[in-house]
Amino acid sequence: MSADHATPNPSHTGQHTGQNTGQHTEQQHGLSEKGLKAGSVGLIGAVVIGISCIAPAYTLTAALGPTVAEVGVQLPAIFLVGFVPMLLVAFGYRELNNAMPDAGTSFTWASRAFGPWIGWMGGWGLIAATIIVLSNLAAVAVDFFYLMLAQIFGNPELADLTTNLPLNIATTLVFIALACWISYRGMETTKSVQYVLVGFQLLVLAWFSIAAFGHVANGTAFDATAISPDWFNPFAVGSFSAFAAGVSLSIFIYWGWDVTLTMNEETKNPEKTPGRAATITVLVIVIIYMTVALATLSYAGIGDTGLGAGNPENQGSIFAVLAGPVMGPFAILMSLAILSSSAASLQSTFVSPARTLLSMGHYQALPQKFGRISPTYKSPSYATIASAVAAAAFYVITRTTSENALWDTITALGMMICFYYGITALACVWFFRAEAFSGARAFFFKFLAPLLGGVILLVMFFKTAYDSMDPAYGSGSSIGGVGLVFILGMGVILLGVVLMLVMAKLRPEFFRGKVLTRGH
Amino acid sequence: MRYVVGYSANARGHDAVNLAVSLALGRGASLDLVLVVPEVQHSGHAIAPKAGFENLLNEQAQEWLDQALALVPSSVPAQAHIRSHDSDAHALIEAAEELGADMLIIGATSTGIFKRFTIGSVASALLHASTVPVALAPHGYYRKEALTRISCGLGTRAGAEKLLDFALGMASNRDVPLRVVSLLALDGADAADSADAAREYAAKCLADALSAGGPEVSGEAKAEAQVEAKTEIVVAHGRSIEEAVDSLDWEDGEVLLIGSSRLAKGRSIFLGSTAGRILRALPVPMIVVPSGYELKQLNHSASSDTPREAQQ
Repeated sequence: MSADHATPNPSHTGQHTGQNTGQHTEQQHGLSEKGLKAGSVGLIGAVVIGISCIAPAYTLTAALGPTVAEVGVQLPAIFLVGFVPMLLVAFGYRELNNAMPDAGTSFTWASRAFGPWIGWMGGWGLIAATIIVLSNLAAVAVDFFYLMLAQIFGNPELADLTTNLPLNIATTLVFIALACWISYRGMETTKSVQYVLVGFQLLVLAWFSIAAFGHVANGTAFDATAISPDWFNPFAVGSFSAFAAGVSLSIFIYWGWDVTLTMNEETKNPEKTPGRAATITVLVIVIIYMTVALATLSYAGIGDTGLGAGNPENQGSIFAVLAGPVMGPFAILMSLAILSSSAASLQSTFVSPARTLLSMGHYQALPQKFGRISPTYKSPSYATIASAVAAAAFYVITRTTSENALWDTITALGMMICFYYGITALACVWFFRAEAFSGARAFFFKFLAPLLGGVILLVMFFKTAYDSMDPAYGSGSSIGGVGLVFILGMGVILLGVVLMLVMAKLRPEFFRGKVLTRGH
Repeated sequence: MRYVVGYSANARGHDAVNLAVSLALGRGASLDLVLVVPEVQHSGHAIAPKAGFENLLNEQAQEWLDQALALVPSSVPAQAHIRSHDSDAHALIEAAEELGADMLIIGATSTGIFKRFTIGSVASALLHASTVPVALAPHGYYRKEALTRISCGLGTRAGAEKLLDFALGMASNRDVPLRVVSLLALDGADAADSADAAREYAAKCLADALSAGGPEVSGEAKAEAQVEAKTEIVVAHGRSIEEAVDSLDWEDGEVLLIGSSRLAKGRSIFLGSTAGRILRALPVPMIVVPSGYELKQLNHSASSDTPREAQQ
């Protein structure tokens, strides 16, 4: 391992007395062991972390509408199918994380497997995806912020403030700046707050579902639709295009779940806890997604008028429209659940691009300043602020060019996740190619699963990218006859290529493969 | 003697190291520079594994500590430690207890523009919970020589005797003069009377401390005489505590000792409102002593004192 930059260096130069040196090294060693805090997370803690990384209330409001727009009543089928590539890729992710734990994740792994160029783009894909989700999180938080104000003061006009473009942009930028500041200060959501947020989200989503089914039973539903087995049949989806779009969206709804698999050393029982936590997390998530999806479809149908889930007006944020009619006066709880989960997620998600940028700065793939750690707050300083500026810029551009910014960003996001997950999964296959056939376990986890997952995701990526050139794609926004989703997605990737070439000019060492070397 | 220094790689951390060196020089104490890094957590959505960032953070922390050790002159033994904890204050107190430290030294925050001291969140948390004296370096503290005088702020509440004992011990150990300071916020008419009362009270306390003080002090008549000769009492008054502090002359190499408020639980520190106001106006470092705290190893002179870890 020639690239082992990241191990703490126990040797010490500043000792004044020979006598102290031995003691010091010994203590230093003990302390870095202590830093890992082995055995601090139990099964329930790990499940809570997994669910809070997914933020189901936010995810559903953001993804349910766009997915219905693609696959209609086959929503439950697509939600189930979408988990398969996620699972396959996560296996590869876990293997890479065990072999090379590194803050750069996809960037570092793809560099080690395929060399600096693909590695750089893998890292860029991850950063772009997290920047996009940041802007979406902030926008959703702002929508529900105004909705909640309207519910508190009983004045529906307040909810419409979010459609006032300058006010909406200003509020979103404030949310992004606040989250950035909190993240920069190194403050993190404490475990107890996480428990409350997760419990509250699950409770409110369950409430919503029960209330929706209640309306269906009482005949007060907007468009009562009987559940049919066909809803669970992925082959009933109209076209491969719709299927691909649906799958890339449902990758998004499970995004963050893989965290449970990578929690090894900090769980109480590293042998069993991560696997069990991952299983329980996904069961909880699938049950809640299925219930909410079925409840929404049975209550609202997929009609494109009024409250229908097929109404393009509703698809940017489905609960903003449905929570009121379904839950009545308690809709404010839904606003509160989504506002709190998206705000908490906004702040914690800042950490992802910041750490990747930090790592890229550290390995000289970006200017040195990205590698800075704040001496006061011990957080990535420059990288965190850069992420906030990028997220703000992305939001302003999308908001001013798109008819439905939320919808289009989520679609572009699904595409970007497929891109970097695909690269990461194939990096796993290539990195471990020498040991792929050394046993059944290695064959499955290091070769077959990531290969299948990676190929599926890259196929989804290319198919979605191709389809999104159609100006009618997504919310139907376009620039110069080309779909906005395509321009957003490809624009971001092309921007990455340009920046990569500039960096190769400025700091060629990394791109000559001298910093992160290929192979073991 | 062993002092734990809360270090961060910024101006505040440098202030703390400088003060620690000053304090260590007169006592032959050794320093433990402790840098606290936060416990890394998992983040939302795109997962950013802990281990990788932890490594980068530890590597950076190590580099910072190397730079910090270079600030310490070779005559002062020093070691560096990285601690991982979500609360800086908690980690420092834990380190102080684990290492058997006699004092915790930190820098006051550097964002106060108009005041010399502003208590940062870490300092304020420490002042509420530490079981050993906490020394606060004012912003921009640059001095690295031994102390030249010790001041002891005397309140009128119970507990003053213990603080005076501590101050006397500290002064005699370091062989520097002790100044007992009474700070009064008064206006006009009865100022003179109050000042006299305060002086009387201070003199009585000091006399008590000198004669009946700690057993170690009274055991050596010679040291006692020496200390007595170098002791003075001053009463400072102004319209406010801040003004009273400003009216005194302060040596560069001076520190002010004050006791923690009665609100403190058991042997921990709680900064009272008067102490808080003193702190805001004070140009020299302040050492806040937990109520009931007793100085260890009295009467070890600076030259014969050996760092405890060297004896082990």
